[in-house]
Amino acid sequence: MNRQDRRAISREYFSRERLAEHHFRSFNNFLDRGMQRVVEEKESIDTDIGDKEGQEPVRVDLSNVRVVTPRVREADGSEELLYPQEARLRNITYSAPVFMEMSIVRGGEEEEEHVVDQAETKVGRMPIMVGSNKCNIADFSDEELIEIGEDPADPGGYFIVNGSERVLMTSEDLAPNKILAEYDTKYGDEIQIAKTFSQRRGYRALVLCERNRSGILEVSFPSVSGSINFVTLVRALGLESDEEIVHRVSEDPEIVKFMLENLEAAEVGSTAEAIETLGQRVAAGQGKNYQLKRANYVIDRYLLPHLHEEGVEDEETRTNKAVYLCRMAEACFELALERRESDDKDHYANKRLKVSGDLMKDLFRTALNKLARDVKYQLERANMRNRQLAVSTVVRSDVLTERLEHPIATGNWVGGRSGVSQLVDRTDYMGVLSHLRRLRSPLSRSQPHFEARDLHATQWGRICPSETPEGPNCGLVKNFAQSMELSQNVDDERELKRELASMGVEGIPGIETVETHTADD
Amino acid sequence: MSTTTRQACPECDGRLRSMGAETVCDECGLVVSEDELDRGPEWRSFADDETNPERCGAPLTRSRHDRGLSTEIGRSTRLKGRKRRQIARMRRQHNRARISSKRERNQVYGFTEIRRLTGQLELPEHVRDRSCVLFESAQDSDLLQGRCIEGFAAAAVYAVCRTASVSRTLGEIVAVASADEDELKVAYGALNRELDLRTGPIDPSEYLARFASNLDLPTDVERTARRLAREAHESGHAAGRNPSGVAAACLYTAARDVGHELTQREASDVAGVSTVTVRNTYKHLQR
Repeated sequence: MNRQDRRAISREYFSRERLAEHHFRSFNNFLDRGMQRVVEEKESIDTDIGDKEGQEPVRVDLSNVRVVTPRVREADGSEELLYPQEARLRNITYSAPVFMEMSIVRGGEEEEEHVVDQAETKVGRMPIMVGSNKCNIADFSDEELIEIGEDPADPGGYFIVNGSERVLMTSEDLAPNKILAEYDTKYGDEIQIAKTFSQRRGYRALVLCERNRSGILEVSFPSVSGSINFVTLVRALGLESDEEIVHRVSEDPEIVKFMLENLEAAEVGSTAEAIETLGQRVAAGQGKNYQLKRANYVIDRYLLPHLHEEGVEDEETRTNKAVYLCRMAEACFELALERRESDDKDHYANKRLKVSGDLMKDLFRTALNKLARDVKYQLERANMRNRQLAVSTVVRSDVLTERLEHPIATGNWVGGRSGVSQLVDRTDYMGVLSHLRRLRSPLSRSQPHFEARDLHATQWGRICPSETPEGPNCGLVKNFAQSMELSQNVDDERELKRELASMGVEGIPGIETVETHTADD
Repeated sequence: MSTTTRQACPECDGRLRSMGAETVCDECGLVVSEDELDRGPEWRSFADDETNPERCGAPLTRSRHDRGLSTEIGRSTRLKGRKRRQIARMRRQHNRARISSKRERNQVYGFTEIRRLTGQLELPEHVRDRSCVLFESAQDSDLLQGRCIEGFAAAAVYAVCRTASVSRTLGEIVAVASADEDELKVAYGALNRELDLRTGPIDPSEYLARFASNLDLPTDVERTARRLAREAHESGHAAGRNPSGVAAACLYTAARDVGHELTQREASDVAGVSTVTVRNTYKHLQR
């Protein structure tokens, strides 16, 4: 393409105000689907009412959540639409009320379950990104914007909390749910490790599979201290016979040889025995029944949580987990045989960006949990004082508001990250544009991390090769390339899996059950 | 920030300039003195610089039973096993120790209810703090005995709204309060009698802005209604009438004058009065 054409394309691209597009898309997605999904994950709030004799249990079911556009309530009680400029000038927060449908359900023990009270109530206020779909100036023309004192050239994409404009820094994380194989050294020997950051609903678990110096595979995952023999774990997951295990790992004769070494050193021979051994590890010194219960719980809860799916039997998930572990084992062996090179952590295929919507989702999840705990407390208290239980009297709306506003105002995000939100750089117009398109690596700036700071070939077309600060942050703080487009996560994985199944992929759990479901409807 | 001083440099007799905590010679650069008191402006800014010399800690608030002075034992992911359980036990004991008496427990409960109410009604912070103070003084004069905490929390909010000229109707408070109307009235009666609240009759115009925005009325209707309310007050027509009824009637009259569609039913619903009240007051205003 010649220079003229390129210039034309560039001009067209930037005339569409796509500078903060990634923020808008992400945040709109959060408002449209993300919030509702978080509420559905939570589903209901259980209380301790009913633990006592002669009391019926009470729970609160959560359903539709709704956000309106930003508005302000004056001291005299009148409510009117709030525009960004007014929020900036009056040092208030540009936020919109959030409403949620809640119903208090009593019964289930002796009486039948019945709804005590059901209502849509205001649960708090959500800061709204300037220029997003819920923003009051979303589809204003330039003249209208000038009329209300807004700058038509302002790109938006930031929040206004207590009158200060805060932008959420895009953060660059290692891709979750992906096997990364690499070399490591332990006690002076070179070993091979396959890693996966398994992530589901804000819970993140690191699963490691390492081949130690004697060639034995070991797996470690949260809630189990130390590591577990690979064969034991796979047997506990339901892959019982030697042949099956070897077959699942690889057909390659050399890998089979490695695998046979492992099987010879195996501690257990059957699934039942394996779960028993696991139980002794996770609940040492406890009763036998409890050990078994705990072992099953740990497997279904903490091992590779990303393989879980709504409406899929634990049994099927376990088979999947076993297969996934075998893939990790294969990666270790291939690395040991030098069939493959270790994965490049700085390769952009192994990176995922967390944009404002993802960050707000994390925040909303913890805020909702906090609100749920408060609702539980209020309900129990009201019940203890023999009060009528009503939706309107158990929700304290400042709980959620506080939890949403405070991190944006201070930058101290959930999970202990700081500096996530920053004051928009208004030094000049270019400063704003650059700031909105900046991304940050979570790596510590005090350590060298030479490779992470280097320009990687895969950043071509995505990351600007020259714009990065000098000094300690060099190469860790980056900026998007000019016409970079950020793609979004697949919304409905089922759709994808069904498509794969129709193309002949076997062993996808839940697809069969889903199909019978749709046939029934 | 730099000032020139009279003294001359001991080395070259040049002019001295003090910058921050150092005095430096302008000509030869000799540092004449350092580490003196920095008399420059403070690094942080305080809203009440003039009156309050306190410079450390979080701001005190009357809306917590301990004025927000308590400490919390936090959580850390780095602690494991025995240490973690020990910290959890300490946290539990610490939280228990925060409340030492039945009275304080009641106060905490009352304050949470007040916070909830002011949050739900979206009242400003000073109303919340003053409500808490009022609740505390009710406790101090032993008014709570035999009456309920929820009622006092609601009554405190209602009373403070009235004294701060941002009145809410009883109906508006009861709608979000966990107390019912009778409990609120009992508590408010006690507060009014014993604590000498000095609340005058409610000015109907305090209601106008809220009712108008609830009814989505244009500003010119509200402005006309405000004028009508003032006239009614001056002429004494409003005396002895339900202020929310007067506010509703003013809005209804104003809407008719301006030519905006508004039924008596709508106006009376938003004010929590009957259509008869609106009609009668309206007729009265017409005269």
